[in-house]
Amino acid sequence: MNVSIQPALKSLRTAALMALFAFIGICFGYFFNFLITDNPQVSAPEQPIAFSHKIHAGDNDIPCQYCHTEARRSPSAGVPSVNKCMGCHTEVATESPLIRQVTEYWENKEPIPWIKVHDLPDFVHFTHKRHVQAGVACQTCHGPVETMDRVAVHSRNNDGPTLFASTTGQITNLEASNSGATQNDHWEMGLCLNCHKQHDVVDGKAVRAAEGGFDNGLDCWTCHK
Amino acid sequence: MPNIDRRDFIKLVGAGGVGVGAGVVLRETIRDPREHLIPHVLAPEDYSSGVATWYNSVCTMCKSGCGISVRTREGRAKKIEGNPSHAVNQGGLCALGQAGLQVLYNPDRLTGPLIQSGTRGSDGFNQVTWDAGLGRVASRIDVLKAAGRGDRVALLTHGVGGTLATLFERFAESIGTPRLHHYDYDHPHALYAANHQFFGEQHLPYYDVKNTRYLLSFGADFLSSWLSPVHHSLGFAQSRGGDHARGHLVQIEPRMSLSGAAADEWVPAKTGTEGILALGLAHHIVASGLYRGSDADEWRQVLAGYELEKVAAQTDVSADTLEHLAESFVNKGPSLAIGGDGAANNTNGVDTLVAINALNYLAGNIGRAGGVLFNPEPAGAIPHNRQANFRDMMSLAAAARGDEIEVLIINDTNPVFTMADNPEFAAAMSNVPLIVSLSSFMDETTAIADVVLPSHVYLESWGDAFPEIGVGFSIGAVSQPVVAPLYNTQATGDIVLELAKRTGDTMPWSSMEACVKDNWRAIYEQSDSSTQAESFDTFWTSLLKAGVWGKSNHRDATVTLDKSAIAGVGVQAPEFSGDSADYPFVLQPYLSTMHDGRGANLPWVQELPDPMTSVVYGSWVELNPTTAEELSLVEGDLVNIESPEGSIQAPVLLFPAIRPDVVAMPIGQGHTNYGRYANGRGANPLEILSPLIDEGSGGLASNATRVRILATGDHVDIVKTSGKSRDLGRDIVQTTSGDDHTAQMNNIPITVIPT
Repeated sequence: MNVSIQPALKSLRTAALMALFAFIGICFGYFFNFLITDNPQVSAPEQPIAFSHKIHAGDNDIPCQYCHTEARRSPSAGVPSVNKCMGCHTEVATESPLIRQVTEYWENKEPIPWIKVHDLPDFVHFTHKRHVQAGVACQTCHGPVETMDRVAVHSRNNDGPTLFASTTGQITNLEASNSGATQNDHWEMGLCLNCHKQHDVVDGKAVRAAEGGFDNGLDCWTCHK
Repeated sequence: MPNIDRRDFIKLVGAGGVGVGAGVVLRETIRDPREHLIPHVLAPEDYSSGVATWYNSVCTMCKSGCGISVRTREGRAKKIEGNPSHAVNQGGLCALGQAGLQVLYNPDRLTGPLIQSGTRGSDGFNQVTWDAGLGRVASRIDVLKAAGRGDRVALLTHGVGGTLATLFERFAESIGTPRLHHYDYDHPHALYAANHQFFGEQHLPYYDVKNTRYLLSFGADFLSSWLSPVHHSLGFAQSRGGDHARGHLVQIEPRMSLSGAAADEWVPAKTGTEGILALGLAHHIVASGLYRGSDADEWRQVLAGYELEKVAAQTDVSADTLEHLAESFVNKGPSLAIGGDGAANNTNGVDTLVAINALNYLAGNIGRAGGVLFNPEPAGAIPHNRQANFRDMMSLAAAARGDEIEVLIINDTNPVFTMADNPEFAAAMSNVPLIVSLSSFMDETTAIADVVLPSHVYLESWGDAFPEIGVGFSIGAVSQPVVAPLYNTQATGDIVLELAKRTGDTMPWSSMEACVKDNWRAIYEQSDSSTQAESFDTFWTSLLKAGVWGKSNHRDATVTLDKSAIAGVGVQAPEFSGDSADYPFVLQPYLSTMHDGRGANLPWVQELPDPMTSVVYGSWVELNPTTAEELSLVEGDLVNIESPEGSIQAPVLLFPAIRPDVVAMPIGQGHTNYGRYANGRGANPLEILSPLIDEGSGGLASNATRVRILATGDHVDIVKTSGKSRDLGRDIVQTTSGDDHTAQMNNIPITVIPT
């Protein structure tokens, strides 16, 4: 005589199937969201005003630190005040629709809520001042911002384990202003570590490691403090 | 393929659809948050984002006048440190000073002017404009002034110095009132009186703890509360360390203070007999021929009756100890005797301190390094003569009761809390038709005000300070705002200027800042030879940068005593309230980390373990373990501490370093209306003090109240960080004598390691 538990399970079948479908649905929905809203390679959020670094830093050759004045004296590079924008744009391109948006913020005395592109986790201590004063070009980490209409950063590395794996950094010439990180570099720990391994500090300037000089901090707590 | 009917199909599609939706939402909720970079609209000129700016200023948490350096970022104060170039604290700062940030950011700060609309003392305060608040006060003063009754206005401020003091003087003068009082609970009235009586000095001398090698401290807790604790701590460290002979400290007090704990010898003399002890030492010094001055005969005469045996019986200190103290004091110089706190707060306080001065004189400590040095004339106002002692405060209360005061302006002092019989004082105040408070916080005194004009805290205001005990030469410091005001408050100086303006005395300054600057212009012009600055503006800028100014002037300090000063030496036995049979213990209230209670609304101070007992958040009463055993009490037992004046409750703390006939309580807790962190915590021992006065100074004899201890039957756990004060035979702390140590070190074989 065959004994089957099937009849007992029969009443649960629909519920089990529903749970299975719901689970598949959750997985699908999760990755669907991932696919449509979040490019795993490049993060380039749309800014409240479509500010172009290409026009300013590229076409018009305005030095980075003209606007990001704090970079050489502060841990954070600083975002220019609205007043700074208006310093030029009371005269320049005043009729452009984008500049009108800026003017509107200025007249309302409101700050422009820019969205942060280059973001480090809270457990990383990074200071612009040290790097800028050591002669490290902005592009070394930020990539060729002067060619970007909308600033983008490669924020994720899906090629493999991420902890120390980002070896794609091809930082070859620190002194040249427009070399350094490409858009293919990942904004991860390897980027910092590679550069720190390849360079030492002599008289406060970053030099190739071969030339000798101070070890510029490969200790964990150089950044994680 | 299983059969799926229509209903099941719909169920499955529904489940799938809900799942997809949930998946999308799930991803949305765990996504990295989008961060914004919010720029300034107008870039500030005085700081860069992310870069700390340090401002030098002055700490006003107590009257020591330490210089501070405040670290600010993005226009907000982040940390207070001592100013390394300030001669008083040399970079050091005490716990109360560190907690100054919580004065600035305290959630209980008053945020704008208030007028009491309900009955006085109720919560009926309404927010009003500055114009309305100032107008109400000014119009009342104006009426009195016009009627020639300006003397019906009384001004009561905490002890202010420098520009603000002169501003108050001028304001009082323009109103026409002599009633301008400074009031601080801990003002050393007896010390001023004693120095005036013995040396004829108006100001306090400088006690050179740093260079002394034998320090005899009569009750002065110079490491935590006496005069300028940070300065004395630094001096004491230098006296103890370094390449010279190690400084020796003897602390004479009935209850071991922090200084007592640091002492080489702790001598628990009976409360109030410290002066008699000092004269016993003096007697031995003169009688044994250790003093060879030309006035030795006069001294012999005045010291008759202070023979060692007699003094030993009165003070409960053995004659051998006294003899050894007296001889060491003369032979192990430079020596220095100081007195204060417990020793000064008795009915014979001034006499005690005069006796200590005499001891210094006999050992030749006056005017020599490591002794008592006289300060040169201070560069700014230090108005001790305005300080109201207990007697003055009681006559102010009597005047209030007699309808002689119609307007009382109180600046940031809390007499309702610190006056010993404060309910009576508060009742007298309620007889004043208009009470105005300029406090930054609601406190027990501000609560009974009709108009509250909240002032900036010190980190937001301009001012200056001329530390009273100084450092042996003239110094001064400017206090500058380190942050923009947080709330709708005004600087005390500006409030005074505005009130003066509205009552018809337009002073020549537009603001307190201008007034401070003007005062310093005078200092600059008087002292041009010693200042290198080429113009006042350069001087002013460098002054603000350095935070401190000083002149390398010293005073020649040859002292000749006249005969009346010598004849005035003598100490009566102390008086106590209450009968010793009914009230067997002497209550010693002492200043805690909260100072006179002003620090009780600062959480950092509340949670800081008391240095001697490690108790946090609350009051306690210290009993000697033998006393507790006699009373069948254990630690944590809640007791009533009853004096002839009243009763308060506190838990028992066993404290081995206190005389069995003395109980001690910290001052500072027991607030009823001082914000969320202070209210309802502990008890205020000042409430049960008897109003006994030291006749010499008019100050309160706060160690002269007898109490009894009655168990309530309740028990609480005292919150403290330490467990037992003994190692219970575990040999955790191993000790050796100095000689043994030297011998052992000499016997260590030296091994030469071959290279």
